[in-house]
Amino acid sequence: MSNEKVDVVIVGAGASGSVFASVLAKAGKKVVLLESGPDWQLSDLISSDIWGRRVKPAGPPFLFEGKNPYGYVYQSGWGVGGAALHYFANFPRLLPNDFKVKSTYGKGLDWPIDYADVAPYYEKVADDIGVSGDAKAEEIWRPAGKPYPMPPMKTFPGGEVWKKGFEAVGMRLAPGAVGINSTEYKGRPACIYDGWCHVGCPIGALANPLVTYLGDAKKAGAEVRAHSTVTRVLVSADGNKVTGVEYYDAKKEKQVQEAAVVVLAAWAAQNPRLLLNSAAGKHADGLANASKLVGKYLLAHFASNTSALFDEDLQPYMGTIAAQYYSYDRYDKNSYKDKGAFGSTFMVAGTAQRYSALGGVANARLDLFGAELAAFMKRAATGFTRLTAFAEEMPLLENRVELASDKDEFGMPLGKITHGFNDEAVALFNANFDQGMAIAKATGAKEAWPNKGPMPTIHLMGGTIMGNGAGDSVTNSYGQTHEIPNLWIAGPGIFPTSGAPNPTYTIFALSQRGAENLAKNWGTVAG
Amino acid sequence: MDDMQRRAFIKGAAIGTLAFTVGGVEVFLTPRLARAQNLPLRTLNPDQAATLDAMGEALVPGAKDAGITHFVDQQLSIPAEDALLEARIMNVRPPFANFYRAALGAVDGASQAKYGGRGFAQLAAAEQHDFIDLMRQNKLENWKGPGSGFVYFLLRSDAVDVVYGTMDGYAHLGVPYQAHIAPTTSW
Repeated sequence: MSNEKVDVVIVGAGASGSVFASVLAKAGKKVVLLESGPDWQLSDLISSDIWGRRVKPAGPPFLFEGKNPYGYVYQSGWGVGGAALHYFANFPRLLPNDFKVKSTYGKGLDWPIDYADVAPYYEKVADDIGVSGDAKAEEIWRPAGKPYPMPPMKTFPGGEVWKKGFEAVGMRLAPGAVGINSTEYKGRPACIYDGWCHVGCPIGALANPLVTYLGDAKKAGAEVRAHSTVTRVLVSADGNKVTGVEYYDAKKEKQVQEAAVVVLAAWAAQNPRLLLNSAAGKHADGLANASKLVGKYLLAHFASNTSALFDEDLQPYMGTIAAQYYSYDRYDKNSYKDKGAFGSTFMVAGTAQRYSALGGVANARLDLFGAELAAFMKRAATGFTRLTAFAEEMPLLENRVELASDKDEFGMPLGKITHGFNDEAVALFNANFDQGMAIAKATGAKEAWPNKGPMPTIHLMGGTIMGNGAGDSVTNSYGQTHEIPNLWIAGPGIFPTSGAPNPTYTIFALSQRGAENLAKNWGTVAG
Repeated sequence: MDDMQRRAFIKGAAIGTLAFTVGGVEVFLTPRLARAQNLPLRTLNPDQAATLDAMGEALVPGAKDAGITHFVDQQLSIPAEDALLEARIMNVRPPFANFYRAALGAVDGASQAKYGGRGFAQLAAAEQHDFIDLMRQNKLENWKGPGSGFVYFLLRSDAVDVVYGTMDGYAHLGVPYQAHIAPTTSW
């Protein structure tokens, strides 16, 4: 069945799709968002780690292989709001050294833009959806800019105890910038610090898409169709433009949505899966794939967690799942060169703790079970806190998504993600445990231990990287594909390198920049 | 979610219950009550249920009475996209029942091989402890199924869910639950 042609069809109603929808709908464009999952509402966001799993993908349309397989879909979205429905709302930004890694260090890749190109959009996002933090405190690490619109969040003992440890090792902390309201902001309430952010904030204190960009987009006339799974991007007979998408609706019936512009804003692995599955005519290897780089240079963060137990009541159940404090003091990519490591590290301290589920206290001692686990849980209930060092891997061509032979219920090949960390990343993982333990011991904690285990993969970026031309990349810096002007890609898939911090603030900023560019150049872009 | 789905979901979540079948009629109960009433299982057979009861209790004291087996069994009987199991976010390929059958079969098979034909539920507490300690380190011999360390991780997570991931669990630990949208009696 074919639907009336619209100006823009956006595949995915998560962080990046919502920004594109908001900007373009407000520019007067007729926008349709197609989202494969349910149409979640704030009232669906039950405060429970068990029920919270419902807003995450159920089982793989992807297969996972490699030395360090992409580990879990904990950070992925499923349904309207995407992963940003349940993200931690840490809003750190990339730093200038992230944009010129190849030029500066002789490894990795360069972005075709600089920090100065993105900084105004960080500031616009902060004003638009609300960020709490202390910009001046962060300016020890980054160029000066505008203050955040809200003061930093309240802190709790579980965060405060880390200050002594950082000071002892000569490292600095700043209040975490977060997409959570420390005060009422634009009609949305202030946070009540109950620690349930990661299963979705139903009061709208946390800037999820439902209460920010997507709400704005709907007010401006954008339409969201849930349970709509896109399987192909359709291309014109001459191959010079895309004409819309094919998708399966809630009744699993095939539909076609024609559009003047297609924006792929699905998961960083799902966008290449769609491009590869849309091969047609002169695009025999998949759309926008002359570079043969569609699906290549997938990037994951990894994290070295250090746990600590105190006798005092740290109120670990209070606060937000975002960081109370963070540090860029080991952000130089050669911070641990003497240990064979390369890449930036971003440290966060003092997040609210839950007691069950993947990130819960029980998993801080995975070796314990039975009576020993029960005893640990009692001690940790009030005395537990954690320090996390997020870190960066370099883009590797062999980390990739490709089509598998198995197919999903719509006959679309599953995606296969192959991922492994190189030696420098492994060395950085280990160096960050050493650093974390040095800090933890200096806090005066009764016990401290590194949560060593298999290297986790956190966040997924790359796969449709931006660059200067079709020879070295898939899109330009706005997300427009080099080969097909009315086919755009949004989200972390366009990052050529990942930096170390949580990516969503940068996703919002780049999407705002890309969408504004698309609106401005509509006449020459639309097909 | 459409309105009907949402009403059903909220109804279940808000009172911390799941849908179980009693006398052919679907009722909402906590897994603890479902176990206390000895409701029939939908997916697991009696041997699998006994193994899961024993394993759950050995991993996290209290898991058996908290209804780990009724929880897992009920979750395996519903569509994967509605499931609340940790398996959902650990890349286990649906249907999740396949994983649990293979995992519980591997536990019993390895136990029988190691302990002269006795399944895990028949082991003494000290034997169960030793078995689990090898299982979590992938050191059990005659293990035939999904990786034993991964099985340990997921079954332990299920047991932690029913014991500590609930409002009762938080109360037991002496920490406030502080729900925005409250699962008022269980989770």
